Amino acid sequence: MGSNPTPPAHIPFLSHTASVARGSPSRPIETFGFGADIQGRGEEGERVPRQKDRVPETEGLRHESRVAGLREFRTPSLEAVERRRMQLWFLTTVTLVLVATGVLVLATWTSMGSVVLSAPAIRLGALAIVGIFCAYVVEKEMRLWRVTRMLTDERVLIASLTNRLHEVSLLLETGRALSGLLDLSELLDTVLRSACDLLDANGGSLMVVEGDELVTVSVRGREEALGARIRLGEGVAGHVALRREPILIEGHVDPREFPGLADRQPYVESAMSLPLVHADEVVGVLNVNAAAGRAFTEYDLRAVAVFAEQSASAIANARLFEAERRHVARLIELQHASAAEAG
Amino acid sequence: MSVTIRRPRVLVVEDDPDLLVVLRVNLTAAGLDPILAGDGRTAISRIQAERPDAVVLDVMLPGIDGWSVLEDLHAMGDPVPIVVCSAKKNAEDMERARDLGASGYVVKPFDIDRLLDAVFEAVRSPSRRPGVDLELDIDLELGVDLV
Repeated sequence: MGSNPTPPAHIPFLSHTASVARGSPSRPIETFGFGADIQGRGEEGERVPRQKDRVPETEGLRHESRVAGLREFRTPSLEAVERRRMQLWFLTTVTLVLVATGVLVLATWTSMGSVVLSAPAIRLGALAIVGIFCAYVVEKEMRLWRVTRMLTDERVLIASLTNRLHEVSLLLETGRALSGLLDLSELLDTVLRSACDLLDANGGSLMVVEGDELVTVSVRGREEALGARIRLGEGVAGHVALRREPILIEGHVDPREFPGLADRQPYVESAMSLPLVHADEVVGVLNVNAAAGRAFTEYDLRAVAVFAEQSASAIANARLFEAERRHVARLIELQHASAAEAG
Repeated sequence: MSVTIRRPRVLVVEDDPDLLVVLRVNLTAAGLDPILAGDGRTAISRIQAERPDAVVLDVMLPGIDGWSVLEDLHAMGDPVPIVVCSAKKNAEDMERARDLGASGYVVKPFDIDRLLDAVFEAVRSPSRRPGVDLELDIDLELGVDLV
């Protein structure tokens, strides 16, 4: 699958495709009505066919639907197919019951009935009519089954595309929000809050690199951790910063795997830790903890990885801005001092 | 027992819409009959309802992930052959997939021909559900590599 974008360097085993941030972890496809109008509208509100209508799958669906008796094919829906199926089986039942009743009545209560029914031509004719009708019903049912399958496939694709659109929109919104912030502490809080919101997480922390240490600068859910320092390579976050690899934690962490890991309560059953890398430099680590009863998956990790990239850039920019601001303030101070000396 | 002959039905479980479309086109061109699922829940319901001959299962899925789908099918004793697709190529994951009854493991990003080989192998595997003869005399060169 050659066109897939290369995954970010610091997440070597991740995404095979463009990663995106996402909102709710699971949105079942049933939430998307397929009854929605698939026709587009032109500038003045007139209906115009979309490109989608010309793809072979849709043409196939259109053909199958027409043959299956779904006239006025405009808004394919599983409900319409189900209605048509019910009509078909109702018609079948009624027809067969009527034929059976007719034969029974003819044979039982009319004097000529048995004579008529004993004629081979009549019997064969009745059987042929029933056989043809059954063949018709079976053929229609098979068409309806195919339409159901095609509609389900289309629904899966639409749901998948809608999910992707939703994720991209969320990422865009978050990116806009982050890029507009230059105040570092406000930005750090926003990054952590956005990450928790994106993943429906119940807490987490944001650590930035200072020398060979990581300093916890923003916390949600465990306020006593604010200001805590660990060395690079120590604990989970230190390991992530050193290796530049995200980690998905499931269950209890083995302290032997992460030397220097602090014993803390309450234990987190599911968490993620991601390096924030900008211009090939680790600026910090983002840690997110799942709510009770929820477990993060690799899908979540992939989703938040793109968000981490954006956040790292925003943090690096905000730090640069702060450094420049301090530099300018220092220059102004020096200018004032030299002016005072000269005066 | 009546025997029907049809194209092998393959369920593609993948959350990426681009990959879903690409796999559908390639599997159809290879003479298979693809059906789609975008998440684990839909995958399980379509496996139960439509009895595919093979499943191409992505591990990273929203909600119920691929491993959970595999575990559920394994617990149910469902004999459908499954080709697991994962971005990870470590031995642990491969072993885990094998233990859970997967018949193949393809590492992403994959070459479409390798995936098709794995799918055909899965369809031919003895663990496949019996009762239906499949059209397996298919020219693999029909595969269209769109990516």
